[in-house]
Amino acid sequence: MAELTVDNLHLTYGDNPILKGVSLTLNRGEVVSLLGPSGSGKTTLLRAVAGLETPHQGTIRVGDKVVFDGAARTDVPAEGRNLGLVFQSYALWPHKTVFDNIAYGLKLRNIAGSEVKERVTTALAQLSLGHLGDRFPHQLSGGQQQRVALARALVYNPPVILLDEPLSNLDAKLREEARAWLRELIVRMQLSALCVTHDQSEALAMSDRILLLNNGRIEQQGTPQQMYSDPVSLFTADFMGSNNKLAGRVTEVREGTALLEGEGFKLWGTARQSAKAGAEGTGMIRLERIRLADGPGDNRLEVGLTTSMYLGDKWEHLFALGEARLRAYGDKPLTPGKHWLEVPRDGLWVF
Amino acid sequence: MTALTRTSGFTSVPRGLTILVTAAAVLAPLLLILYQSFLSAPFFDAKKTIGIGAYQFIFADPDFWQASLNSVVIATCMVIIALPLGALLAFVMERTDLPAKRWIEPLILVPSFVSPMVLAFGFVVAAGPVGFYTVWATELFGGAPWGIYSLTSIGVIAGLLHVPNVYVYASAALKSLGSDVEEAARVAGASPFRVAATVSLPLIMPALLFAAVLVFFLGFELFGLPLVLGDPEGHLVLSTYLYKLTNKLGVPSYHLMAAVAICIVAVTFPLVLLQRFLLQNARKYATIKGKAGRMRELPLGQWKWVAAALIATWLFVGVIVPLTGIALRAFVTNWGYGAKLAEVLTLEHFQSVFDEPILVRAIWNTVLIGTVGGAIAVACYCAIGFATHRRNDGWSRFVDYLVLVPRAIPGLLAGLAFLWVFLFFPPLQPLRTTIFSMWLAYTVVWLAYGMRLISSSLMQVSTELEEAARTVGANRGQVSRQITLPLIRHGLIASWLLVFMIFEREYSTGVYLLAPGTEVIGAQLVSLWQGGAIDVVAALSFVNVVLVGIGLAIALRFGVKLRD
Repeated sequence: MAELTVDNLHLTYGDNPILKGVSLTLNRGEVVSLLGPSGSGKTTLLRAVAGLETPHQGTIRVGDKVVFDGAARTDVPAEGRNLGLVFQSYALWPHKTVFDNIAYGLKLRNIAGSEVKERVTTALAQLSLGHLGDRFPHQLSGGQQQRVALARALVYNPPVILLDEPLSNLDAKLREEARAWLRELIVRMQLSALCVTHDQSEALAMSDRILLLNNGRIEQQGTPQQMYSDPVSLFTADFMGSNNKLAGRVTEVREGTALLEGEGFKLWGTARQSAKAGAEGTGMIRLERIRLADGPGDNRLEVGLTTSMYLGDKWEHLFALGEARLRAYGDKPLTPGKHWLEVPRDGLWVF
Repeated sequence: MTALTRTSGFTSVPRGLTILVTAAAVLAPLLLILYQSFLSAPFFDAKKTIGIGAYQFIFADPDFWQASLNSVVIATCMVIIALPLGALLAFVMERTDLPAKRWIEPLILVPSFVSPMVLAFGFVVAAGPVGFYTVWATELFGGAPWGIYSLTSIGVIAGLLHVPNVYVYASAALKSLGSDVEEAARVAGASPFRVAATVSLPLIMPALLFAAVLVFFLGFELFGLPLVLGDPEGHLVLSTYLYKLTNKLGVPSYHLMAAVAICIVAVTFPLVLLQRFLLQNARKYATIKGKAGRMRELPLGQWKWVAAALIATWLFVGVIVPLTGIALRAFVTNWGYGAKLAEVLTLEHFQSVFDEPILVRAIWNTVLIGTVGGAIAVACYCAIGFATHRRNDGWSRFVDYLVLVPRAIPGLLAGLAFLWVFLFFPPLQPLRTTIFSMWLAYTVVWLAYGMRLISSSLMQVSTELEEAARTVGANRGQVSRQITLPLIRHGLIASWLLVFMIFEREYSTGVYLLAPGTEVIGAQLVSLWQGGAIDVVAALSFVNVVLVGIGLAIALRFGVKLRD
C-alpha cells in the first residue's frame, strides 16, 4: 500500500519553474531515493512533501489523506502532516537537551509525561544514544547529532520519514559506516523513507528504488540495478557511474544493435531508444566494462597511452583516440605506447 | 499560477491585532499633524476652519526661510565633516594595527549614546565665552581662538558628534571587504593613508553614500544643539523655529506648528526612503565583493602616531571637552575669570536637585522608563518582529514601510503629535498625565531602531530550526514561543540594554509631553535650560550621563555589541 503519493506536482519560485510535473509513490517499508544534480528540484520536492514549500499544482497524499491539492486549494500546514524530516544540517535546537529535542514532538501531541520518558528512552536506546540524553547538541559529534535528528523524527512514529542529504555532513570515512547503519535501521524498523541525495553511490547502496530528477522532471526511475545497468537516456547513463563518452555518427541500426562511427573508430553497441541511423550519436561505456586486449579484434580500438594513475586497488589508464580520451582500469602498470582496448557490444550504449 | 492560501495559520488573531495596533500608533499622530496643518486654529477650537492659511503664514515669515536655510547649511556642514572623518576612522580601526583598538571602539560610540542636549550644554560650560577651557586657555595664552555660537561652529560641532554614525556603516562595509586588494596596493608602493583614499574607501562608496544621506537627514532632525548653541546669536533651524513658534503669537499656534512639522517631514520622509534604497544597494555591493574572513592588518609604522593623534584630538573635542565641562560645572558654585577651582567646589547643586520633588520624580521616571519601559518596548518590538518573521505577504511589506514612518518624524514633532493624540481622543485623556504617554511616544519614535535590533536577532535563527519544529507538529505560535523566542533571548536582553540607553538619552520627544506626572530628565533639561537654571541643569545632566554610563558599563561588561 502506498504511504505517500505525489501526483503531477508543479512548483515555481517567482517565474522560475522548479518542479514541472513530478509524480511518485512510496510504498510501506520502502526506501526511495531522489537523486539528481544540484538544481534538479530534489530538495524542493522533499520540502513540498513536508509542507515547507507551496506548490501551485498537483496533489500530495499521505496514506489516504490528501495533504495538498492544487485544484481543491487544500494545503495542510507542515505541522498537520505528521511526517518526520531529518534536515541536512540536522537542525537540532541548541537550547534543548538531546532528551528535550526528541521529546518535543511527543509533548506537542499531548502525550503524558511518563510515556514521553519511556518512548524517548526507547528511541535513544534504538539509536545507541542511551547515555547522551542530558547533553546539549553542541556537545555531540557529527555522527551522534545525526542520530539525534533521526530519533527526533522517528519518535512519534510518522508513516513516512523524509531524509534530506542525511550523510553529507559526515566526513568521508564515517559516511560509509553511517550508510550501512542507516540502511540496517530502516530495514529493521520497517520504515518508509524518502531520501534526497546527490551522491549516486549513496543512492545505489541505500535504496529500494531510485528516482532520478533532471531539471524539475523525473528522468528515470527504477531499482538501483535497473538504473545502473539499463539507463534509458544519455543523462541517466552519464549520471550513474564513471563513464567513457564517444561522439560519432550512427551508421546502422539493426536488431537492437547500432554501429557508431567516429574519428578512428567503428564500434557495435546496444541501440538505445534515441539512436537513429544517419544521425549524430553518442556512445557510452562504463570504465569497468572496457578491457585491455592483447591485439586487434572485433570491437577493439587501437589507442595510445597518455598516462596512468595508481588508485590503490587498481590502476586507471588514460588513453588517447584522436581527440577523444578514454579511461580504463587495469591491474598492472602499462608500458608507454600503443595498446588495444576491447569494448563489449553489450557494454556500449549508443544514444 | 496563483499562490494558494493555506487552510490554517495564514492570518491569526494575535498577528492581526499586533499589526493593527502598530499601524494605529504610527499613523494616528502623523495623520493628526496633517489634519491640524490644514486648520485655521487648534483642533479643539470651535471656530476652526479648513484651509491653507497656516502654510501661507509660515511661508510669508522670513524667519521660516532663514531657519530652513540654516538647517541646510548645518546639515551640509555635518556631512562635510563627519563623512571623511568617519570613513578614515573606520579604515584605521578596521584595517590597521593601531594599538589599543579594543579600548578606542567603545569611546568612539560614546557621542551616539549621550544626549545631544547634555553635550550641547557641555560645550557651553566648557568652551563658551566663560567656559572652563576658554578661561584656562585665556589664562595660559592670553586668548581662546574659538567661538561656539556661530552657525558654522554649530555645524562643525554637530559634524564631530555625528562621526560615529558614519563610522558604524563604513566599518561594517570594510569588514565585508577582502583585505587582498589593500595588500596589492601596499606592495605596489602606496602608503597606508593612500591605500585608504585610493582603494578601500572607493570600494565602500555605496555605504559611504548611505552614511552621507543619513547624516544630512540627522542634520534636519537636530534640536538640542541648535537650541542651546544657536540661542545666544539667535540662529534658528527648522526644529527650533517650530519650538519658538509656541510663543510667537501668544496663543497656542498649533496650526502653524503643524504646518512647519509637515514641511520638515516633507524633507525627511524622502530622505528616509532614499536611505532604504541606498542601504539595500550597499548590501548588494557587499555580497558581490564579500570575501571576508581573511583579514590582515595593515602595519601603520610611524603613521601610527598621526592616526592616534587624529583620534585623540577628535575624542578630546567631541567627548572629553563637553563631558568634563558638565562634570566640573555640576560641582562648582560659579565659574569665570579669576575663579579658583579648589575654592568653588560644592555639592549643593545635587542637594537642590534632590530637594526638588519634581526633579526627583524626573530621575525616578527616567530610570523607570528605561528599565521597565524599555523592557515593555522590546516586548512590543518583538511582537511586531514575530508578526512579520518568515512571512512574505502583503502585511509584512506593509509593516516594513510602517516602521519607516516614525524614522522620518523627529522626536520633537512626534512628542507634539502624541500630545495632540492624547488631547484628541477623549478615552486617552486620563493617560495624558501619566508616564504611559511618554513611554508610548518613546516607543514609537524608536520603533525603527528597535525593529532593527530585533530583526538582526531573528535573522540569526536558522530557518531550519523553525522548520524542524513545524515538521514535528508545532504550529506557528508554538514555534515562535518554544523555539524562536528561547533562541533569541540573549539578543533580546542586549536589545533591552540598548533601548535603556536610548531611552535615558532621549530628550526632544518629551518636550511637549512634559507635565506634572510625566517628568523625565531629558525634557526637564530643555525646560530648565529655557529658565536659565544652569546649576540644576549641570547636576541633572551629570545624573543623566551617569545613568547612560551605567548602561554602557553593563553592556561592555557582558560584551553586548553596541551597534548592529
